[in-house]
Amino acid sequence: MERHQLTLYKILAVGALLLLWEILPRLGVVDPLFIPPLSGVLSTMFELFASGELGKHTMVSLVRALSGLLAALLIGLPLGLLLGGWFPRIQTATEPLMELFAQANPVILAHIIIFFLGIGQTAKVFIIAWLCIWPITFSTIAGIRNVDPALVKAARSLGLGRFRLFLSVVLPSAAASIFTGLRLAAGYAYIMLIASEMMGASSGLGFLVVQSQESYNVTRIFAGASVITLLAVVTDQLLKLVEMRLAFREENGEDDYVRMRQLAQGALV
Amino acid sequence: MTKSIDTFKHLLLRWSGVLIFLGLWELAPRLEWIDPYFVPPLSTVLGSIGELFREGVLVSHLLISLWRGLLGLVAAIAIGIPAGILLGWRYPLAAEVLNPVLRVLSQVNPFSLLPIFVLFFGIGETAKIAVVGWVSLWPVVFYTITAVRTVEPVQIKSARAFGISETDLLVRVLLPASLPLILVGVRIGAGLTFYILVAAEMLGASAGLGWLVHNSAMNYQIPRIYAGATFIVLLGYLLNRGLMCAERTLFDWREAIPGLVRDRSHQDTKPWIAPRFAAAALAGLMALIVVAGSVEVYRANLQGGEVMPAGGHARHFGQPVGE
Repeated sequence: MERHQLTLYKILAVGALLLLWEILPRLGVVDPLFIPPLSGVLSTMFELFASGELGKHTMVSLVRALSGLLAALLIGLPLGLLLGGWFPRIQTATEPLMELFAQANPVILAHIIIFFLGIGQTAKVFIIAWLCIWPITFSTIAGIRNVDPALVKAARSLGLGRFRLFLSVVLPSAAASIFTGLRLAAGYAYIMLIASEMMGASSGLGFLVVQSQESYNVTRIFAGASVITLLAVVTDQLLKLVEMRLAFREENGEDDYVRMRQLAQGALV
Repeated sequence: MTKSIDTFKHLLLRWSGVLIFLGLWELAPRLEWIDPYFVPPLSTVLGSIGELFREGVLVSHLLISLWRGLLGLVAAIAIGIPAGILLGWRYPLAAEVLNPVLRVLSQVNPFSLLPIFVLFFGIGETAKIAVVGWVSLWPVVFYTITAVRTVEPVQIKSARAFGISETDLLVRVLLPASLPLILVGVRIGAGLTFYILVAAEMLGASAGLGWLVHNSAMNYQIPRIYAGATFIVLLGYLLNRGLMCAERTLFDWREAIPGLVRDRSHQDTKPWIAPRFAAAALAGLMALIVVAGSVEVYRANLQGGEVMPAGGHARHFGQPVGE
């Protein structure tokens, strides 16, 4: 099958799903009270957008998620590079600890975090950052460990200094793995963002969903949930684009998901 | 002798980070470097775990959480593995075409699904199990598709050359060959499930480990928050390690799949219990959790119905004042 034909079918499959979403509630196959048709959800989305509410909540959520992710990147990447590249003994010593920290569910710790950081923005960003640091750190360590030793030796014998070696050999070969961790972290960021907003917030998409739930406004729940999903998908695709530009990796459709999880979790085996 | 000393040294180095952390946790509050009211020392927290254990609270909430997680996981496996095999083996083209749809669905946030599932299944256990099942469904499906696709073609061709029937091919060749990788998907689903489940229990439940922590926080029993959280971290760690160990025991024979499954042949570790026995023990344990869990859930929901007002957990830190 030709490539563009396959792409066409893929688009058609997504279209079919959306079409079913519209038709099934309209025909009464599923209760339109529980699953409102797509057009209803879209018009609600538009209304929310027109009143400025949707834009506000989306911005708030986006800022939280991205600053959490950025903080995690700024901490996790250097941490992974240092532990994986320069201090293997410290890495051995801290690995079980980091593994335990990665298990520490930030939502469970939410009450404790609030003792220290208060109920505001900082606590939410911290919750997201805490979750995102670990996939980034682990996949960076794994990426550095899996650099082809022959490449490093070849570069050494060509007389590359430590810094140049790191910059032009180690980092590019670890880039694919680092991006994998980053994309996984971005996925987690959205999951935890909504959870933390549901626990206590006065704005954001998670708040929008909870608020709509309390007023039994089902269409708005669906509108909020759709926007959240859309944000997660778009972020993932953007990161994938950057990844393909920077890490020179071929697009590798079906193994993508598997590779991502495997790397972040298998790095610890 | 030197070998055992070396192993000991390695173990000491490996766990030194954890030991230092635990030491700091004990010392810092005792020496008043941080306020012991907000961060109670480790010994207090451990005492609090013991107290919860003696009261029988811990075991009952633990069983409830495990029961929910297990049922969700079983549902995900029951749907995910057949769907994955069907897509990966019978209709690979359909798998390719449906890939974007499945990917978008897998990105749907489990927490935003919670209210929708509540609409369908009511506030009871089914909604929680559905969320948990949804979360673990995707790793299982994607891993099964990949597992079925990465089965050595030579094995399938030689089985076909012997004139094997399609069902036999599925049961005797395809399934055993792809099972190790499928189980990795199940492990990842289980880990993710446990994470989400505990969080979901904090957001709205009247029992379970997440609720235990939440309830302690509502009553300002700070050592108990730490006790619950510590216990959950430990449990998650053990769950992950236990499943990895089970993988190693059950699929001792498996070969490395480059980039997906690590080559363990060089490790040369013999499984310390027979695979068959391990599988039976695992199944027995799960059955026990299901039975004991059902009893606990029934009891908890009976009590919960009397004590907890409906929707009492909708808002957690109270409505923040103003905007």
